[in-house]
Amino acid sequence: MKAASIQTDREGHKPPTKDLYSEYRKRKKILFKSQATVFGVITLLALWSLWGTGFNPLSIVTGTYDMFVFMFTDLFPPDFSAIGSLIGPALDTLYMSYVGMVISVLFSLVLGVLAADFLTPHPIIAAISKGITAFLRSVPAVVWAIILVAGIGLGPLTGTIAIGLSGIGILGKAYAEVLNSMDRDQIEGVRATGASWLQVMGQAVWPQFKAGFVSWSLYKLDMNIREAAILGLVGAGGLGYYLQSSISLFQYKTAAMAILMIFALILLVEFVTAKLRERIL
Amino acid sequence: MMKNNRHMEKKKVQNTIFTVLAFAFFIFSMLQLDIVPERLMRSFERLTYIFGNMFPPKLNEPIDVFGAAIESIQVAILGTIIGILVSFFLAVFAAKNLTPFKPLSFAIKSFAGFVRAVPALIWALLFIVAVGLGPTPGVLALAINSIGMLVKVYAEALEEIDMGVVEALESAGASKVQVILQGVIPSMLSAFIAWSLFRLDVNIRYSAILGVVGAGGIGWELVKAAQMSRYDEALMVTIVIFLMVMSAEVISEFMKKRANAATAQALK
Repeated sequence: MKAASIQTDREGHKPPTKDLYSEYRKRKKILFKSQATVFGVITLLALWSLWGTGFNPLSIVTGTYDMFVFMFTDLFPPDFSAIGSLIGPALDTLYMSYVGMVISVLFSLVLGVLAADFLTPHPIIAAISKGITAFLRSVPAVVWAIILVAGIGLGPLTGTIAIGLSGIGILGKAYAEVLNSMDRDQIEGVRATGASWLQVMGQAVWPQFKAGFVSWSLYKLDMNIREAAILGLVGAGGLGYYLQSSISLFQYKTAAMAILMIFALILLVEFVTAKLRERIL
Repeated sequence: MMKNNRHMEKKKVQNTIFTVLAFAFFIFSMLQLDIVPERLMRSFERLTYIFGNMFPPKLNEPIDVFGAAIESIQVAILGTIIGILVSFFLAVFAAKNLTPFKPLSFAIKSFAGFVRAVPALIWALLFIVAVGLGPTPGVLALAINSIGMLVKVYAEALEEIDMGVVEALESAGASKVQVILQGVIPSMLSAFIAWSLFRLDVNIRYSAILGVVGAGGIGWELVKAAQMSRYDEALMVTIVIFLMVMSAEVISEFMKKRANAATAQALK
């Protein structure tokens, strides 16, 4: 900007250059002001949080150090002989996430259709359906699991229902969005031929909906494995339960094996869903 | 045409097989988990009883619950800030176009991948063993889990920047720090802001449940209420968590819009 102003000076056009330069300075000032505000707010928030939680910034260093010590003295090497007893819980985790996914797919299909602009029987029903999914989405699966554990007891059934519930929140919204972004002309075309509601769904809606449906559902299965692995921490069955109990018994090497198992399970499911997505679409 | 038809036919058969297999696996999983109709009926009865007891939601110690909610938010803020600072520093070394040493980039990326694959709640559990109960393990767990994700996305954003800007600054004699401050950061600023806000949103979700394993915040209040079968209180805590998560989502959405508008204004 400065170089430009010098050049025009020589050519003798003073007024516009002065304008440009003052404009530049004005903008720079605005930029500086907003940057200062942002940094100020962030600093204040950080100080407030430090004061509120009593967190000592030094513990970033000491905590990392403690973690390393803990990892290398207590966690390593993982106890590989525990694999045998871990396979059962690992399969449970897998079944939980799969059944949870199917449950949430079924409910979300209904809620998604009810929430989509052009399929809903009434705008009020659409609003209610959106409200339900928003609520289910904003409450973490672990919260559902805690309430359900108190209600129907420990075990995989609790975890399955918790996963299913929180899945409805995500899939219901995703399905509604996919349905809303469809090409309406095709649907109108099929409808104009005198097709029934079921035929419209089968011939016009489903072909457009399929890709989004498959990829969102498989994505949810990916997520479910992670959730199912941690739901056990509150007693809802699967690998997490095993992890929690071995940590409270100070059997850290077994716990390390459970973490490795969770890790492997996540990677395995991610690989399988990626392959499936490729094959189906 | 024939070939295309046969391909379509094959795909149809394949998809039918997939559907049947998916259904069979569903039934198999249900049986393995011992989810049978009579058990579902019994659970359903229990659930109606609990939901009946949930209303109206109430609080016995309102100050505790709101204090715990604020502590959760503070844990999330600290975890996010530490995560952002460390991640940005690591991302500069992890981005292929900026790293001084290629194997270092690979090492940092694999470290981030490992850290990311272990869920935040498990990190919290491990940190509790390593540093003790309270908000500190929560902050550290969120920070390390954020690092796993942010290093990846920051490095990707850094790899996409226009290297012409960096070269121009270097040939003008700028130092490494100046290149990063004047050339690199402005180029990735909008991706940086968007991802950081997204992470704050995610961390507030996580911080609400960290208390479950004893890492401070509102999660512990929920566990307490549920274990003592005070379902009306549990519902109230759930509602507070819902409001917390919801407002985090709304605020981060608003901030993202503001940031985009500010960038647009500055570039105009």
